Amino acid sequence: MPLEKSDLLQGTLDMLILKIVALGPVHGYGISQRIRQISNDVLQVQQGSLYPALHRLERRGWLEATWGESENARQAKFYKLSAKGRKQLMKEESNWERLAAAVTLIMQTAE
Amino acid sequence: MTRWKFFLRKSAMEKELDSEIGFHLDSVIQEKVAAGLSAEEARRLAMLEFGGAEQVKEECRSAHRITIIETALANLKSAIRFMRRSPGFSVTVILVLALGIGANSAVFSAIDAVLLRPLPYPDSGELVVLHQYDRTRKSDSPIAPVRLEEWNRYNSTFQAIAGSYTQDLSETSGTLPERLVEADVTPRFLQVLGIAPELGRDFTSAEEHFGGPPAVLISDRFWRRRFHADPNVLGKAVRIESSSAPIVGVLPAGFEFPEKDVDLWAPVPMDAPIAQDRAFTWFTGIGRLKPGITIARARADISAVQARLAWQFPQTDKDLKAEIQPLKETIVGGSRRSLWILFGSVTLLLLIACTNIAALLLSRITERAHEISLRYSLGASRCSIVAQLLAEAFVLALAGSVLGLAIAAAGIRVLHSLAKALPRADEITLDWRILLYTLGSGVIVTVLCGLVPALIASRRSISPALASRSRTQVFAGAPLQWTLVGVQVSLAVTLLTGAGLLLRSFQELGRVSPGFDPNHVLTLRISGNYGETGDQKKMFQHMKRALEGIETVPGVDSAAISATVPGAAREFPTDVKITDAAVSSDRKTTADERVVYGAYFETLRIPLLAGSACREDTLWTTAVVNRSFAEAYFPNRNAIGHHLEITPFDAKPEITGIVGDARENGLNHAPIPTLYWCSSNANPSPYFLIRTHGDPMGLANALRRKIHRIEPARSVFDIMPLTHHLSESNAENRFRTLLLTLFALTAVSLAAIGLYGTLSYLVMLRRREIGLRMALGALPGQIRTRFLAQGAAISLLGCIAGLAIAAAFSRLLAGMLYDVSRLDPLTYVAVAIGVLAVASAASALPACRAARLEPMQVLREE
Repeated sequence: MPLEKSDLLQGTLDMLILKIVALGPVHGYGISQRIRQISNDVLQVQQGSLYPALHRLERRGWLEATWGESENARQAKFYKLSAKGRKQLMKEESNWERLAAAVTLIMQTAE
Repeated sequence: MTRWKFFLRKSAMEKELDSEIGFHLDSVIQEKVAAGLSAEEARRLAMLEFGGAEQVKEECRSAHRITIIETALANLKSAIRFMRRSPGFSVTVILVLALGIGANSAVFSAIDAVLLRPLPYPDSGELVVLHQYDRTRKSDSPIAPVRLEEWNRYNSTFQAIAGSYTQDLSETSGTLPERLVEADVTPRFLQVLGIAPELGRDFTSAEEHFGGPPAVLISDRFWRRRFHADPNVLGKAVRIESSSAPIVGVLPAGFEFPEKDVDLWAPVPMDAPIAQDRAFTWFTGIGRLKPGITIARARADISAVQARLAWQFPQTDKDLKAEIQPLKETIVGGSRRSLWILFGSVTLLLLIACTNIAALLLSRITERAHEISLRYSLGASRCSIVAQLLAEAFVLALAGSVLGLAIAAAGIRVLHSLAKALPRADEITLDWRILLYTLGSGVIVTVLCGLVPALIASRRSISPALASRSRTQVFAGAPLQWTLVGVQVSLAVTLLTGAGLLLRSFQELGRVSPGFDPNHVLTLRISGNYGETGDQKKMFQHMKRALEGIETVPGVDSAAISATVPGAAREFPTDVKITDAAVSSDRKTTADERVVYGAYFETLRIPLLAGSACREDTLWTTAVVNRSFAEAYFPNRNAIGHHLEITPFDAKPEITGIVGDARENGLNHAPIPTLYWCSSNANPSPYFLIRTHGDPMGLANALRRKIHRIEPARSVFDIMPLTHHLSESNAENRFRTLLLTLFALTAVSLAAIGLYGTLSYLVMLRRREIGLRMALGALPGQIRTRFLAQGAAISLLGCIAGLAIAAAFSRLLAGMLYDVSRLDPLTYVAVAIGVLAVASAASALPACRAARLEPMQVLREE
């Protein structure tokens, strides 16, 4: 069953986007597709939050955008990770791991 | 793409947003169609899933919305709030800045008008002034008409060379003769200057030939004054003495060449028989270089032309050399150094103001540390905090610049009245260049005094530490603040030393005995033209008659005539040979030559030391010398009775008297060997010097009436006391000294304010420490001494540095100091003592405040 938008932890969406984009230049539709596929349909990003997030990340300089041709030969806006974005991703990943480990630890120990 | 571009290209961004979202929707629709839905159903579902497209777009837009301009506006708004929250601080900063910027802009306006802006002629950089220089007499002189024409004809680097001289005439169509200044000009005059008459025409070539029809051009001022700007003035006659000439044109307003107050221009026929003598020196040359020709090339060219003339006319031309100088240089060259020194000092003043404000801003860091650390914890970047702090400095600087502009406007008015000695002074205005300069200074000031405090305040590590420290700990020191105070003191000391040296020189100059008594002496001139010099006898009769008439006016003690005013910087060097067997006759001696007539020595109270003072000797057989002359050329012998030989005149006068040394060439020039002739003057309108019983100006009207009775066709002008001439000749010196002193005193006050502010601030920060010390038994006197010592130490260091800088840069004042060494110990010591006294006074108040703290009260505050 897909999770609701509000179930995503604050800031997690940004990290997921950065992670997906790190795999290679991709457009907004592609990002939402991949998040859905990789999470086995558990995570479904609402378009209403995806695009503002993309623009926010672009403004911060973590993403770089270029216009290119999509697989069905249409003009689409492709996002790719900037050097600054790569650093940010690493930071968020390690944060996430610590957080996840801590949460797991609590869940297991406090049983 | 940067935010900035987004802001500018909003519509492009909208388009991109549309097509990005459109692509997404289409992709979703395609996916659903592929899964078997109808196109319409797929579209409906896709839209539904996406949510409100407009809402998404708006959210995307807002991600970009915080642009630089919006941030800047927000920063400015908060800066204004900050200003209003601490009005005392803001007002102090704005006033200090306004003073610094205003004074700077005012002096810059003078630099701009006098030195930077081109002269008001087209391509004025091509204009040069020409003279002939006599190698043996070592002096410049005007150019003979024939020679001027030859220079013009044979050179290859000039577009044209013209010349002019001026004379004072009387225009006689009114009830009283009016003095006019006439410039007599060669052909090509207006062409060289690149000026065309506003009304009418230039002279025709017939008018420029001997025996041609008379014609004059008049100045715009004369046109307005005498003809009430009558557009039908052309053809009307101007009556000058016995002749009259029709007006053929009016020159544009502001055209003031070769002199400021020229009323009319008349052509000189270069083919007149009288103009053919190579020994006559009439014209100051003005030439226009061909485009792209350097002054050096022109000099080489004209020198070659003159060398050829020297070979062709050895008798008259062999010692002559052509001299050229850019026109602008001859007009403003003399004031350049004064102006740059003033500008330098006023810039130092601005620097002191900046330092002062930097220290003030720095002292607020601690107060704002809490605010800054709060903003950091709310996620602000260092950049945005620096921007915020700079915005505050900028708002203050902007307010300061605007007020400074008002001060500059007032300053320019003061400059106009003070700087009459300055060339082009009436061109000093407040225009857009000055406006830009003032605003530019404001921006530079923002960076200079805002950046360092902003960078320090925004150090992430320092602000939380600072915030807690000021509350609970002893604030150890403020090295940067003390450095800033030290810098202020040292710059103020530098300025004050410069001003002190000028003041001392001024004082020395006032103490100088001129060797003559300028009090109770009235000077005046009676118009006369160079045409009269053709008949020396008649001219002499006229002078004699006028002088005798003047002497009969009650209240007049004695009167004399001289070509120049004593005490004005004019030299007339000449070669003198002593034709006495006892002295080696090869010895070349020079003397300053003066032609005086009447009771000159009596009128000026120059004492007669030996022999007799001459009054009248039209045969040029006797001469009077001054003491310097006698001592230099007749050491240990009596000079009286010896004969001299004056080469250029073929005269062999006998020395009949020796008079005391007088500073004829200006009060700041030591007397040089001088030779006085007691004869009639070559100048058609020389100075009459009149010793009076009482107030010299009280006799002005009686004298004017008397002269009018004797010479009804001549005008009397330049009536003023001799003391007035002397103070005028000293005007630039006084102007410079006055302004520099003003700047220096302002600088010292600013430095004192800086010291006071910093020390008060430290006392406030260390209240707790002081309270603690006192509670533990420290005496108020000890506390006071500590703070006083701290203030004294930094002022002493600043003083030493300032004196060192002053000593290094005092070379700039060389030539402006009279009888005072640039390292004058008295000045340096006095400045040091003065500044240290002011500094102690400035530190006394905060130190006493510290000593009066109530320990219990302070400790309870925490």
